[in-house]
Amino acid sequence: MNGANIVNSLAALLIVTSVLVIDAKRPSRAALLYGLQSLVLVSVFAALAFFTGASQLYLWALTAFATKVILVPAILYRTLRKFDQAPPLPSPMRPAASIGLAALALIVSAVVVLQIELPGAAAFKPALMVSLAHFFLGLACIITQRNILKQIFGYCLMENGSHLTLALLAYQAPELVEIGVATDAIFAVIVMAVIATRIQKTVHSLDSHDLMTLKG
Amino acid sequence: MTGDRLLCALLSTFLVTACAAFATRWLGAWTRRAILAIHLVGSTLALLLALCVVGWVLRGQSVFALGNWLFVDALGAIFVGLVALVGFLTGAYSIGYLRNDLARGDITVKSLSTYYGFFHLFLLTMTLAVTSNNLVMMWVGIEATTLSSVFLVGFYGRKTSLEAAWKYVVICTVGVAFGLYGTVLVFSNANAVLANAQTAMLWTEVVQHSMALDPATISIAFVFVLIGFGTKAGLFPMHAWLPDAHSEAPSPVSALLSGVLTNCALLVIIRYAVIASKAVGPHFPQTLFLVIGTLSIGVAALFIIVQRDVKRLLAYSSVENMGLIVLGLGLGGPLGVGAALLHTINHALAKTLMFCGSGDITMKYNTRDLGLVKGMLRVAPVSGFILIVGALALGGMPPLNVFISEFLTITAGVKAGYGWLMAICTLFLTIVLGAFVRMIGGSLLGPAPEGMPKGDVGVLTLTPLCLTLALMLLMGVHVPTPVARLIAEASETILGIPAPPPVMDAQAHARVTKGAPACVPDRLKETTCPKST
Repeated sequence: MNGANIVNSLAALLIVTSVLVIDAKRPSRAALLYGLQSLVLVSVFAALAFFTGASQLYLWALTAFATKVILVPAILYRTLRKFDQAPPLPSPMRPAASIGLAALALIVSAVVVLQIELPGAAAFKPALMVSLAHFFLGLACIITQRNILKQIFGYCLMENGSHLTLALLAYQAPELVEIGVATDAIFAVIVMAVIATRIQKTVHSLDSHDLMTLKG
Repeated sequence: MTGDRLLCALLSTFLVTACAAFATRWLGAWTRRAILAIHLVGSTLALLLALCVVGWVLRGQSVFALGNWLFVDALGAIFVGLVALVGFLTGAYSIGYLRNDLARGDITVKSLSTYYGFFHLFLLTMTLAVTSNNLVMMWVGIEATTLSSVFLVGFYGRKTSLEAAWKYVVICTVGVAFGLYGTVLVFSNANAVLANAQTAMLWTEVVQHSMALDPATISIAFVFVLIGFGTKAGLFPMHAWLPDAHSEAPSPVSALLSGVLTNCALLVIIRYAVIASKAVGPHFPQTLFLVIGTLSIGVAALFIIVQRDVKRLLAYSSVENMGLIVLGLGLGGPLGVGAALLHTINHALAKTLMFCGSGDITMKYNTRDLGLVKGMLRVAPVSGFILIVGALALGGMPPLNVFISEFLTITAGVKAGYGWLMAICTLFLTIVLGAFVRMIGGSLLGPAPEGMPKGDVGVLTLTPLCLTLALMLLMGVHVPTPVARLIAEASETILGIPAPPPVMDAQAHARVTKGAPACVPDRLKETTCPKST
C-alpha cells in the first residue's frame, strides 16, 4: 500500500467514527468518541507529513492532538456528562439511515471535488472527498438532530472535516493561520457548550423543538 | 504617527478597553464608575484613531501593517470608519439604555462589565475582519465576530434571548464554515499559481494574479464564500438567524449587528467577488448577486408587512437593505457599485437610529409590540419625531439619505437594461414603505394611551440619536466630499476602472466613465503590498 492509499484509508475511517459519534446515546460517550475521531485526524496529519515530506504537518498533528484529542473532548466531557441522565430524545435517524446519509454525503462531495483542479494534491482526492463528506455529515447532524448537544457534536464533525481540507490544500500556510482556525473552533465549542448549559437551566430542556418560540 | 501604527493602535485600543471592562467586575463599589470611564475613553479614542486611519487612506496611500497581514484601502476604510462611528454612537446610547435596565432590575452592575467587555471585543473582531489582508485571518475575524457577540445576543438570559443566541451561534458558525472551504480553495489555487504560500495568503497579491487562477475552482470557491459569508450578511435564504438575534439583543447591540456586522461580512464577499470577476469574468458573481439580492428584497418585503414586533420589522428591513446592496453590486458599473457602497453607509446610519430608537420605545412602553405602542410622538416627542424621520428614511422617502442610494440603485438598474427587474424591486420597496407608514400611523402618531407618563427618555439616549439623525440628513442633502472620494476609489478597486463619486452630476459621470481603460489604473497599483522586511 503506497502513502496516498494509507492517507486516503485513514481519512475514510473518519466517516466511520462520525457515524459512531452521531449514534452515541450519552453526551459523555459522544465526547469520548469525538476524541477518538480526532486521534484518527491526527494520524492522517502525521501520515500526510511522513509521505509528502511536509514537515510542518507534524506541528499541525501535535496542535490537533493537544486541542482536539485532549482539550476539547475534556471540556465537552466535563460540561456535558451531567446531561447523561437526561431522558433521550427521539432520534429522527436510525443507525442505518446515518450510514445512508454518509454515503449520500460522499457522492455529493465526489461530484464537487472531481470538478476541481488540485495541483500537488491530486493523489489525495479521495481524502479530500472524505473531508467534504465529513463536513456535510456534520451539517446533516445539526439539521436532523433534536438534541442541541448532538448539534454541538455536529459542529465538531464539520470542523474536523474542514480541518482535514485545510491540511490537504493549505498545509503550506503560515502556522499562525492554523492556530487561528483551531482557536476559533475551540472557542466555538466552548461557547456552544456554555449556552447549551444555560438553556438547560432556563428552559429545562435540551430539545431544539422547545426553542421555537421566535417565529415569523 | 504612520498609518500602520495608527491601525495597530486602533486594534489595541479595542482590545485594552475590552480587557479593562471585563476586569472592572472585581472593583466592587467602583465597578459602575470605572466601567463608564473606560468605555467612554475607549470608544472616543477608537473613533479618533479610526478617523485618522481613514484620513491616511484619503491621502492616497493604502495602509499595510503586521507584515502585510493587515491592510486598509479605500474600500476597507469605509468599513473601518463605519465600525468605529456606529460603535461610538451605539456605545454612547448604551450608557442611558443600560442605566434604565439597571434601574428596572433587569441586569446587575456586574452585567455591565460583561456587556461593555463583549461590546468592545465585538468591535475589535469586526475591525480585524475588515482590515485583514490575509484570506484565512479574514475568515477567522468573521468567525470571531460571532463568538464575541453571541453573549450580547443572549445578554438578558431569558428563554427567548437564549433561543436567539443558540440559533445565532449554530447557524452562523455552520454558515461561516462554508466560507472556510471557499477560502481554502482560493488559497490552494493561488499557491499553485504564485508558488509562494506567504503571498498566496494575501488578498492584495491574489487579486493581482486572479487572471491566472482556475475558473472552475474559483467558481466553486465563490459559491462557498457567498453561502458562508452571505449567512453572516443576512442574505436570503441564509438569513434565518437574523430576525431572532436582532430582536432579542439589547437595542444598541441590534444596531451594531444590523448596521455594521452584516456589512463586515459583505466586505469579505466583495473582496472575493473582485477575485472571481477577474478569474471567471464579472458575469458569474454579478448574476449570483442579482438573484440573491432580488430574492432578499422580495422575501424581506413580504415579511416586513406582517410584523407586529418593531425590532423584527427592523430586522427584516436589514435583510431587505442587504439585498439592495447586493443588487447594486450585481448591476455593476460605477453607478451600481457606487450606489451599493453609499447604501452600506446610509443603511448603517438609518439602522443605528431606528434600533436605538426602538430602545426608547421599549423603555417607555416596556413592549416591542406595535399593536400596544400608541402615540409615541405625544408620549416622548423628541424620540417620536426621530423615529418618524427614521421610519420615513428606511421607507425610502426624500430628502433622506436612504432615498439617494435607493434611487441611484434603481437608476443603475434601468441604465444597465434591467428595467423589468427594477420595476419588481420598486414594487417591493413600495411594500416596505407601506409597512413603515403603517408603523408611523399606528404607533408613532395618534393619541397616547391613558395613564402613560409623558416625557422623553433622557439626554443620554437622545444625544446619540440626534447626532445620527444629523449625519443622515447630511448624507441625504450633500454627501461629504471625503466620503464621496472614498466611495469612488473603492468602486475603482471593485471594478478595476476609474469611477466617479456616485452622487456626481450626470455630465461629470459620463465624462469619467467614457473611455475608461480596462487596465488597472495607477491608483490601484498603489495597493500592491510593500515588500515585507
